[in-house]
Parts: sequence; C-alpha cells; structure tokens
Amino acid sequence: MKISLNWLGDFVDLSDHTPQQVADLLSMHTAEVEGVEEYGAELRPLVVGEVVECAPHPAADKLSLTQVDFGAEQTVPVVCGASNVRQGQKIAFAPVGCVLPGGLKIKKAKLRGEASHGMICSGRELELSDDQAGILELACDAEVGRSLAEELGLLDPVLELDNKSLTHRPDLWGHYGFARELAAILGRRLQPLPLLSDYPAAGADPVPIRIEDGTGCSFYAGLRIDLDAPPQASPERIQQRLLATGLRPINDIVDLSNYVMLELGQPTHAFAWPQLAGSCIVVRGAASGEKLTTLDGVERVLDPHDMVIADQQRPVALAGVIGGADSEVGDDTTQLLLESAAFNATSVRRSAHRHGLRSDASARFEKSLDPALADLALRRYCHLLAEIRPQARIVAAPASAGCDEVDLRHIDLDPERCAELLGVGIARDQIGAILQSLGFASEDAGAHLHVRVPSWRASKDVRTAIDLVEEVGRIYGYHKIAEQPLQAPVQAPRADPGRMLERRLVARLHGAHAAYESQGYTFLQHSWAERLGLQGDDFVCVDNPVQDGVDLIRHDPVPTLLEQAVGNLREETSGCLFEIGKGYRPVEQGLPPQRRWLAAVMWRPEGGVEQGPGSLFAAARTVAEDLLRCAGLRRSDPCPGAVDAPWAHPARALTWQDPLALVALLHPRLREELGARRSAIAVVRIDLDELHRLAAAAQPAFRPPSRFPAIKVDVALALPATVPYAEVENALRQAGGRVLEELHMFDLFEGGTLAPGQRSLAFHALLRASDRTLKDKDEQKFLTKVAQAAERLGGGLRS
Amino acid sequence: MRDRLEELQSQGLAAIQQAEAEEGLRAIEVRLLGRKGEITSVLKSLGTLPAAERPLLGQLANEVKQGLAEALQARRSDLQALAMAAELEADGFDATLPGDPLPGGGVHPVNQVSRDLEDLFQSMGFQIADGPEVELEELNFDALNIPADHPARESHDTIWITPPDQRGAGKQGVVLRTHTSPVQVRALRRFGAPLRVVAPGRVYRQESLDATHEHTFHQMEGLVVDRGVGVPHMLHAMNTLIEGVMGRKLETRLRPGFFPFVEPGFELDARCPFCKSGCGVCKNSTWIELMPGGLVHPNVLRACDVDPEEFSGYAFGLGLSRIVMLRYGIDDIRWLMSGSLSFLRQFHP
Repeated sequence: MKISLNWLGDFVDLSDHTPQQVADLLSMHTAEVEGVEEYGAELRPLVVGEVVECAPHPAADKLSLTQVDFGAEQTVPVVCGASNVRQGQKIAFAPVGCVLPGGLKIKKAKLRGEASHGMICSGRELELSDDQAGILELACDAEVGRSLAEELGLLDPVLELDNKSLTHRPDLWGHYGFARELAAILGRRLQPLPLLSDYPAAGADPVPIRIEDGTGCSFYAGLRIDLDAPPQASPERIQQRLLATGLRPINDIVDLSNYVMLELGQPTHAFAWPQLAGSCIVVRGAASGEKLTTLDGVERVLDPHDMVIADQQRPVALAGVIGGADSEVGDDTTQLLLESAAFNATSVRRSAHRHGLRSDASARFEKSLDPALADLALRRYCHLLAEIRPQARIVAAPASAGCDEVDLRHIDLDPERCAELLGVGIARDQIGAILQSLGFASEDAGAHLHVRVPSWRASKDVRTAIDLVEEVGRIYGYHKIAEQPLQAPVQAPRADPGRMLERRLVARLHGAHAAYESQGYTFLQHSWAERLGLQGDDFVCVDNPVQDGVDLIRHDPVPTLLEQAVGNLREETSGCLFEIGKGYRPVEQGLPPQRRWLAAVMWRPEGGVEQGPGSLFAAARTVAEDLLRCAGLRRSDPCPGAVDAPWAHPARALTWQDPLALVALLHPRLREELGARRSAIAVVRIDLDELHRLAAAAQPAFRPPSRFPAIKVDVALALPATVPYAEVENALRQAGGRVLEELHMFDLFEGGTLAPGQRSLAFHALLRASDRTLKDKDEQKFLTKVAQAAERLGGGLRS
Repeated sequence: MRDRLEELQSQGLAAIQQAEAEEGLRAIEVRLLGRKGEITSVLKSLGTLPAAERPLLGQLANEVKQGLAEALQARRSDLQALAMAAELEADGFDATLPGDPLPGGGVHPVNQVSRDLEDLFQSMGFQIADGPEVELEELNFDALNIPADHPARESHDTIWITPPDQRGAGKQGVVLRTHTSPVQVRALRRFGAPLRVVAPGRVYRQESLDATHEHTFHQMEGLVVDRGVGVPHMLHAMNTLIEGVMGRKLETRLRPGFFPFVEPGFELDARCPFCKSGCGVCKNSTWIELMPGGLVHPNVLRACDVDPEEFSGYAFGLGLSRIVMLRYGIDDIRWLMSGSLSFLRQFHP
C-alpha cells in the first residue's frame, strides 16, 4: 500500500516532519514502512522553459526551429515537431543529459541539418497524461528555470507499506486512517473529513434493493446520480494523487470511487444505471453454472459460494471483487447507480481466490471493514463530485438494505494492569488521553476505565482489554520500554534424559566416527520411495504437496539420507552422514504416530574387505554398537537380517531387538539403480524412542578390577566357513567361562593350507580370575575346552 | 711425596681440562684413580711414611684424590652437555611436517546454534519442550487464537495432510505445523503455569524454493508464563538470546507487529552487525528484523486452562534458520537441507 504524504497533509499537519521521519513514526507506532520514495522524482531534471523564438524548419514542413530559454546563460536551439508550439509559450523542457521517465536520454542532435539541444515535452512523454496532441503548455506565469516537478506540484513523498502488516487493521486501508494514527502519535488535531451532510429529499422512487444472503452482505446502499455530461478526465490534482499511490486515472466517475477508497478504505462501484434490468439490485449467491463477464473481459463461471450483485435477470458484479462488463460506466453513461456496501470478509476473500482475482476492492473487504464506512463513502463521494462537477445531481437519498451498525462495544480497562503488562509507569490520565486520541471514548468507572470502541476498530481487531493495552503501548512508544530480568524462584528445569542421550549420541557420531550431521526433508518423492521398495499406501500423505509427486511423509530419515549420500558420491568417494529426525506412520484418524530416529549412511569405494574387521559393514556395526553402548546397553545380540527395510541387503544386515537398531548394506538392486555401482553403502538406523526407553533402566555398575595377573592365550580354529562367527564366539565364551576376561578375533582367512570350504579364525584371549593367580593347568583346561568346542563345530584347533 | 702429589694434581687437572671426549676422561681416571692408578699408589705408599707425617700427607692425598674426582665429574658433565648439544644440533628433525589428517565429523549448523541456545536458556531455568511436526489443526491454529477463516490456514500457506472436504468445525484436521507455537499449547497444557520453556524444531510452509525461501525451516519458540510477567521481561530474554547467538550485545528496538496469539505483538529489530551505515543485509536501514514476540494472548492462556487474570506471559519465535544464516554468512537457505558434505564440512563442532 502506498501512502501519499501530500494527501495525509489534508488531514494532519506534518509540515515540520521529513518524509523519513513520518515513516519512522509509523514504523515505530503503527506498522512497518518499507520504503519512502518520491513520486515525480524522475521529473526533477526537467525545467520550465520559454520558447523565445519559433520559426519553420527550412527542410521539413512539420518541424519548427525554436530557441528555448530555460534559465541557463544562453538560450539553446531546439527542433520541435509539435503543431502547438509557438513563441512566448512556457513549456516543459528536457535539457541535454536528462533522462525522460520512459528511459530516453536527451543528447545533442541534428534534425534535418539543424542543431537541437534539448526537447520540449508532451504530457505523454512525461507519463503525466495520455495526451499526444502536442507539447504540454504551462501557465504563462510559470517561472523559467524552475524545476518542472515543483512548478506542477508533482512531487509527492510516498510511503510504502507491506499489506501483510496491515491485515489486522481494517481502519488502515485508506489515508484517513493513517492521518488519525499520526495525529494520535504527534498529539495533533485530526481534520474532519469534508462530507455531504444532507441528501436531497426524496424525489424519484427509491431503488428496490434486496439482500438474500445476509451473512455475505450486512448492508448495501445504492445512490442514484445523474451526470450533466458523460465521464471525462478528472482534475489534475485527483489524477496525480491516484498516480502517486499507484492507481491509473480512468475517468472522473471511476477516479472518484478510487479516490474515496484510497481515503477511507471503502470501495464503491458505479453501475451504468440504464443497463440494470428491472432497475433493481439483488445481493444473492450465484446459481450453479451462472456466468458473468467481468470488467477485465474474462467470462467467469460462477460457483454457488460466490456472492453476486444481480439485477432482475443476471449477475452484474462479483460482490466486493469486480464489476461486470456489461454494466460498466461507458463513454456515454450519464445515469449511475453508486454502490457502497458491507460485504463479508471471508466470502469476498474466497471468491477472489477462487477466480484468481485479487482486486483493490477485495483486498480491502477481506479485512472486515467498518460497516459505517459504507454511508460515509457515499457522502464523501458526493462532496467530491460536487467540487468537480457542480452540475451533477444526486437523484435521491441512497436506497439501502441491511444494517450498517456494528455492535457498540465497551471494554473495562484496569489501568494498573495495563501499566504492569507494558512495564512502564504510565498514569491513568495518560492512558485515557491516548485512547481518546485514537477515537476511543474513555470515562472513569471506579478502579477501571470504561472504554467505548469506535466502529472503525470494533469490526475486527479491538475486542478485549488486552487489545486496549496494545493501543496504549504503541502510541506511548514501545521503544521507551526498558528490559528487565524476570524474578522467579531458582529451580532446576525439568530433567530431559532423552535430549541428553541424543546429545551424547551426536557427540559420539561426529567425535568418534567422523560423521557429519545433516538435515533432510520430511517429504519423500513418491517415485523415490517406490525405487527404494517402499509401498506408497503405507505413508502419511500430504494433500497439497510443495511439489508434484513429493507427497509422502517419511517413516524415518533413511530415504532422504540415502538420496543425500548419492548426491555426494561424485565429489566424495567416502563419507558418513547422519540425521536425528522424526518419522510418521499413517493412522485412521487423528494424529499420525511419531517416532524419533537416528539414521546414518556411510559409503566408501567398493573393493575393500567385504566382511569382518576392516569392512564397511563392520564399521557400520561398530557405529551401532557404540551408540547402543553409549545408551548403556552393554551387551545386546543382533540377529542376522533386516526387518521392514526393503532398501536393505537381505543377507548383509543385522537387527537388534527390532525396531531398536538395524545395520545393513544397501540392496544390490538399488546400488545399480541409484548409479552407485562403484560404492559400498551402509545404513545404520536406531529407534531413539525405543533406545531411550531401554536406556532408562541401564546404568553402568562398577566392579573392582582383579588384583591377580592375567594369562594371554592365542588360539586359532579351522572351521567350516558356513559356521557363523557368532556361534564360534559363543562357543569360545562358554569354553572360557568366568575367567575369560577378553576375547578378540585378530585374524580371519581362507585358502592357504586350509581345506576348501574351511576358514581359520584366530583369537587373543585374556584369562583372569578375581580371587587367585591362574596357573598353567587353567590355561590347559581352557585350550582343551576350546578344542572340544572346535570339534563340535566340525573343525579343530590349529597349532 | 708432597711434591709428587702436587705434581700429580696439577698434571691431572690439566689433562682433565684438555680431554675432548668421555673415553679420554675415562683413561685419565684409570691412570690417576684406578686400582693401579698413580694417586692410588701414592695412597698405598702412605704406610711407608713416618707416623708423624702420615696424617698430614694422608689428608693432602685424599684432598687431591677428591679434587681430581670432582674435576673428572664436572668435565664429564660438560662433555655430555656438549655432546647432547651437538647431537641436538645435528638432529635433522622437521617439526613442520604435517600431522595425521584431522578427523572429520561435524554438527549441522542449525543444530549447533539450537543446542547453544538450549544450553543458554536451560541455564536460565527454561526447560526444553518438543512437539510433533505433523500436528493437529486445533493446536496449530485454534488454540493459538487463529480464527477458523484466517487466510494462514488455506492451502496456499499451509501444508495439509487432511483434504479440504474433511476439514472444518469439529473435525480433527492435521497439518504440518507452520510454526513451533503449538508447543506453547502442548507445554502449557501438560505442565501448567508457571512455566518457562524453549522449543526448537522444524516447521513447514507452502513456499517455492529459492535462495531466501524454504518450505522446511527451523524455529525456536520461547514461552514464559508466570505472575506479573510483562514486556520488559520479554525484551530481556530476547536481548540475552541475541547476545548468545551473535556473541556480543546488539542494540535492539521493539516495534509493533501483529500475530494472533500475542497481544500486544512486536517485532524486535537489532542493529545490523555487519555495517555502520547500511548494507545489503539490512537493506540500508541499519536495522535487521530478528524476532517476533509478544505477550501471550489471554485466549491462548484460556485454551490451555491458565487463568489470564492471575497469570500473564510472553512468547517469542526465533527464526533459527535465518539466524544461522546471519551468524555464518550463509547466502542461500537451500544449503541447510542440502546434505552436501562440502557445506557440512565447514562447521566444526
């Protein structure tokens, strides 16, 4: 929204403030002003000139040779093509070097052999009017050499505000509302708005108006006006204000509507009266399939939820949004029906949105305008019309239907509470004075102030005492509030073990496992999920996705993390990303259940050790086991295979207490499909809710270390390769019993002297008792048991 | 004999001083003080002297022996020190060769800042609260005093799970939360007043991606409800937060802002930390808009069964993603969710 300072000056004296100062006042007390620009600034380099000589061009019929005085030391020669140029004329002159609003730069030139050092401009060239007939003629008393913009009074500082910052203020959709604010901020008088006070006594029959949709329209007034002549151009002053605030002048009838809208915020609409069949107005819902060609020439199929203004036969306007083309005020229209109404905000907004048509009118109606504005706007229109067209005739007082009063609202405000909440020492009298300056009426009622809300604030934003606290605070000045620490009892905040656990896991991941924490989208592309083998119907779905096809809500962060890992492959041959994030599962009704996950994806070039220590799978397993240990789960045996993870390699996977933890290599089918043939990719996934639940019980318990020496024993077993390592380890642990303190595989190989299908596993074992020094026979006993175990497993001890 | 001793002493001392290596010293030691050494033999021959001379010469001989031994020791230390110095000088060790590669690993910058702020607020007695990202319409909107026909609820602003024909009064619509503010409601309903919480988390809006717009970004909500809470307390918390994030105090100012769940509502601006007289970041205004906030609307307190006559509160909503971009000078918001190692690697824990 653009606010003209010249316009504001009609209602409140701002002459002692710079435009930037006014902008700052509004930003600090009302709503943010995003910028200050000067309308007409591009005309600054133009000056008033005088044609001191004018003769025909010797070589061209339509050109004239002139000498122009523009206040410089010497006059300059200018070739002019306009037919209305003549000696003694005051004109708009563009000297050499200046740039016209259209971007044309004036240079020294020769036209048909004659020098031309500047340009005498037309209104069109200056974008001041559509007049192409000739050059702009200035008043004969215009001062030669003076800035053209100043001479014409074109300069107007304009404030820019973001409409979004005003949505809650129905009173700020026109200049008068801003003037009221500034008057209150500066403690100055607000000039009353000149209005037509009395309509003429009833003459012709009143226009029948019927409101069928009372919720969509609470009040509708129609005013019959007979013009002395068809629409014509508005006076300069009106045109310039419209231009300065961003509207294009059209004709005086339309311009006045816009002018009133920009002053008061209330849109009005003029119908060509003869075009209204049956000379009546019905405000109703559209019939299904009904059509309306709107002012922009588009034929629109209406929705039953659309509210329309109709005559006896057909819709003539989309209520509050746009008028119809065939009832538009045309070049020959002299009889008008001027509409001013109170339309329902939501109904207008939905219609505007439905038809992709956000007009200046709809933007205002959707803010819940003060219904009292409807009549005010008609009176203001009539006043302005009388100024510019004294011969126009108001046929009769407006006909109306509905009610234009808001409920008078009274609020009791406790001044002490107000001062406490704002944290400033503001006296009761000052509070009353601030409210009154904004148009509220305030009177003492015991300990409270009894405050009456003016209609322009009652339609939406001021409802309760706290709303008054805001009014008082912002006019008083928020910048005067000083910070102060809250005084409260010293208490430790509630413990948050889940979050503490997460912090520890993160510290391990980046500190011990060189992993980088990432963040991935909650949304999954349908096609990506399907490539990973996930079924689309097992997901929570977004109704209006941010992008077509990206409509699934992830179960866990693995799919997005995989996508990110693949995205990194080209630049980074190895790496590890992890994320702590939430995932969701669909549910019949209500809130989909949420789980917190930790997922990590690790990758490295293919071709290293495939399994066991040194392999990617082992590294991933180590991460998982480390994180489980970090949560206090010291021993927790995994099962081979993956549950509920179609992206996982079915054989190269381990699951801990499903769904607690999972480690898997990527399914070979996917590596191919994702273009990751040359990389090995592993996934770790931990259910943090589950981990937290289990961790709550697990606390490390200290045992004093044994004071007795240990025996180190190395054993190597040759076993069929089909015996899983886990079984071997179990067997050795059983063999070692209580005295086996540590067991660590240090070598694994096949081939060599081993029989085919056999492999060798070599272990360091550390034997120690807590109550005695172990002897040779203890070691022998261990070795014997190991040998027996090896035989049970189909192999034997290697020497 | 006395002469002999004195001669041995002076010759011995001279030899010791001239010795250039430890082996030489050892030879001198053997020659003088060894079992068959010259001093040793003098000492042995003491017995042949008259008894009257013995004590005096004995004492002298011992003094000479001890003096030589000390001189040997001193010279040995000197020679060892010289040898060590020579060895050190000829060391050839290049201490400037690189260390082992630094281990990788890092924390996401959003979480880094979030965790810093969690710690800061916890130190002031705030607890950390959390809520689901897939949230009930009721908590995301209704309980926060956002009216049923508010445009923010419509599909061009909010990402919905529930299709339009199943939304509306009395139905449990589900959205992707558009702010962390529903955690205010969850925390207040669960813990009641008085309460101090911060709630970091992901939020979602219907936005097209570009350098400054994301549909997925992070916020941190702050909420304090207690008796006698007013605007100055909010301002203090906001200023503390900014100092915590930016590492130094910045001048701030409050101005009006509108959000349905606070009244009065504010925007907090801080002096641009990057310039003195205007730059691209502050759009030449020297102020940057950092944080909305306000006093908790009585309707929100009521929706959480807190009596607004007894309690008041403040709330603020920090745009975490934006503050992270400001802190590290990140120029494109899309980096944050990119998962790109070349980005993540730049943030050390």
